[in-house]
Amino acid sequence: MEISVRQICFILIFYNAASKLLQYPTLLSGYAGSGLLFSALVSFAVEGAVIWAVAYLSSKTEKTLFALVKDTFGEVAARIVYGFFAVFFILCSVLPLFEHKLYVHAIFYDTVPALFSFLPVFFFTVYAGSKPFKNIGRCADICMPVFILSFAFVAFMSLSEVDYTNLLPLNAAPAKSIFGGSLKTALYFTEPAYLLMFLGHYKYKKGDAARLVLSYAGGAAIVLFFLATFYGVYGGISSSRQFAISKTSLYFSAMDMIGRVDLFALYAMEFVMLFAYVLNIQLAVHCLVRCTGFKSPEILSFAVNAALFAVIVAFDRFYTAIQSLFAGWMWIPVVLFAVALPAAAWGLRRRRNES
Amino acid sequence: MPTLEKNINSVKKILTSADILVFEFISEGGKKFAAIYADGIADKALLGELVVKPLRAAEAEDGIEKVRLLLASPEVKDCNRIPDAVKEISDGNAVLFVDGEKDFFIIGLKSPPARAISEPPTQIAVKGPREGFIEDIKTNMGLVRKRIKSENLQIKTIKCGERSDTAVALVYIEGVCPAGLPEKIEKQISENEIDIIPDSSYISSFISKRPRSLFKRVGTAEKPDIFCAKICEGRVGILVDGSPIAVTAPYMIVEDFQTGEDYYQSSYRATTLRLIRAISVFIGILLPALYVSAQLFKSQLIPFRLLLKISSSVQGIPLSPSIEMFLTLLVLEVLNEASIRMPKYVGLALSIVGALVLGDTAVKAGIISTPAIIIIAFSAICLYTVPDLVETTATLRWIYLIVAGSIGSFGLVVLTGFIITYLCSENVYGVPLLAPFAPLVKGDLYDAMTKSNLYTLKNRPASLRSGDKVRLKNGNKR
Repeated sequence: MEISVRQICFILIFYNAASKLLQYPTLLSGYAGSGLLFSALVSFAVEGAVIWAVAYLSSKTEKTLFALVKDTFGEVAARIVYGFFAVFFILCSVLPLFEHKLYVHAIFYDTVPALFSFLPVFFFTVYAGSKPFKNIGRCADICMPVFILSFAFVAFMSLSEVDYTNLLPLNAAPAKSIFGGSLKTALYFTEPAYLLMFLGHYKYKKGDAARLVLSYAGGAAIVLFFLATFYGVYGGISSSRQFAISKTSLYFSAMDMIGRVDLFALYAMEFVMLFAYVLNIQLAVHCLVRCTGFKSPEILSFAVNAALFAVIVAFDRFYTAIQSLFAGWMWIPVVLFAVALPAAAWGLRRRRNES
Repeated sequence: MPTLEKNINSVKKILTSADILVFEFISEGGKKFAAIYADGIADKALLGELVVKPLRAAEAEDGIEKVRLLLASPEVKDCNRIPDAVKEISDGNAVLFVDGEKDFFIIGLKSPPARAISEPPTQIAVKGPREGFIEDIKTNMGLVRKRIKSENLQIKTIKCGERSDTAVALVYIEGVCPAGLPEKIEKQISENEIDIIPDSSYISSFISKRPRSLFKRVGTAEKPDIFCAKICEGRVGILVDGSPIAVTAPYMIVEDFQTGEDYYQSSYRATTLRLIRAISVFIGILLPALYVSAQLFKSQLIPFRLLLKISSSVQGIPLSPSIEMFLTLLVLEVLNEASIRMPKYVGLALSIVGALVLGDTAVKAGIISTPAIIIIAFSAICLYTVPDLVETTATLRWIYLIVAGSIGSFGLVVLTGFIITYLCSENVYGVPLLAPFAPLVKGDLYDAMTKSNLYTLKNRPASLRSGDKVRLKNGNKR
């Protein structure tokens, strides 16, 4: 098997959390205010249920999604489905790419540098994007201690200034803003689609479904803790604090003496975030390989990254517009590919049994 | 019946060199003999004592079998082909011709010049065995045999090198080493045709799937205790005649952070030292790069008071931080290279010139700042905490420095991601290079960056897929 359940669990905990620590807290506090925890809980609950469905499905079949669709609808349909998934994963990597660029410029440089300084990331994404699932799993193993140490460090530095009463009263935010927040930030919740892609590529053992769901819950707990801390530090002005993870530890009292040591933790976190980000590209390349039958993932990875490169060069200064655009309609593909299709995979299985 | 002269001439026709000596003698009974050997690598005293003396004293010898019984040497081989005789003479053995006989004897008298067994300079131990391998393969094989007396220890000798005909010994324990691995390694070595094998590093290149890789793909050992421990874990060891450095495969990067001494002292101390080594290597690689990127792109990385100190030091320095660091590192590498190559006494003068003239004067002249020298010096010391990785880490330090000078710390993060992705995709004979961290092998973590006590290390490393998993059984469960 190419990837182990343990490695998928790490992805569901650490990549899941790492991908939601940049702009997600800022945006969610803007949409849902002090109700951001409820809004996040709604998203995590829905996605968690889908994760459980896909994890449970893997206990019933050893086939990949491609094989399941092929058995039910034929190879052409399977290729088309994978083609759509490839587009979905590419779309999922657009906004994080812009966020990363801005985040990198904010925490790695004293002055705002040229776009050029961010572009070397494409050397990495082209290379890593072509790697198989085995490599994804091993990288997740490496990222696990890096995330734990760096997050613990940032969290420790953040706790000195946090005031959790900022979240009170718990029922202050109206239901509309809570659900609206969930919908507009849906683009950060794509983990069920990841798990669907891993289907058939790992060996399922008894109890693994519970392990996967608990891992996702672990990732959710980290994010919820951070959301509470972030809102606890900044309260009503949270929505104006960009790149949340780099802001909570700013007021650590010993910083005057020891300097911005939190930056080292943030750099380590950025390392994990890079791997979390590149997972979308790796899965897009995987889907394209199956869709096109083209045997060279390196060339497909280059093509995917060239497209993303073109987007970031063309829309370098339009992050806000792109963010609004994605918040406005990205929930549709997310619901389709990360909720509806994973659930529909159960239908595939049943139909095959009946036939 | 071939005459003695005819046999001697056949050999001398091929081995025309002046150091091939012929010693003819006659027994009491009047039988003629001739011993041919290469001067300098065959033991003449043994030839006299074990071959010439008993044969000379013999009354009459009818037939080659009787002659064989008279020979006192424990290593006697029958032979009847002149090319084989030539090969054995070149190898250091002697050939004994008997007048009137077609067959002849190969007498094992090989005694090439070799230094005494001593402690290897790169693996000095305060606690634990001090014996090190030497250039003679037979001595090295003996050092291994001395430690592993198991009947399952296999030493398979092959020849490599078209002209050097170097002996290469594959050492492994049957049943512990994964099945098929020695054969795979043997095939990879045999596939190469090369003139000469001057050192085991040639064999390392043969068995590395990617010889161009920046990262090591085989392990090395200079001490038999470490070599034997690796063999007992399920690896294949390779001894090469003429090289004091043994090679082991499969290899995991974590091996280089472990030293033999770790196993002879308390696990707490060993763990502390391993962590220090790991941290030192990271500091050694990253410190010059981080300093440059902090100065150029993110001064907040440096604590404020330290920043004030640094800024006063770098004031007036005509070079940019990256060029300054680059040049300082270059000077260090030049001094390092020169001090190794120069004669001992000149080397002493060189270190004075390097430290005082270059270092002190350059700072006083305002060409290089003090922090740059401190950082490079500390980095150099840090890298040598893991000497087996210095080739790789010193190159990585250059690469990181160039990247830091170009795009700052973000480049360092991206480069690290790139390297980790590469290392995660690499296997050596089916064993992941980054094991037991990626993939995570829980049982093997007890002897990775930390070192647990002996009773925790009951099993052989699972990453190596040894045929026999258990290495320690004890009656009292502890």
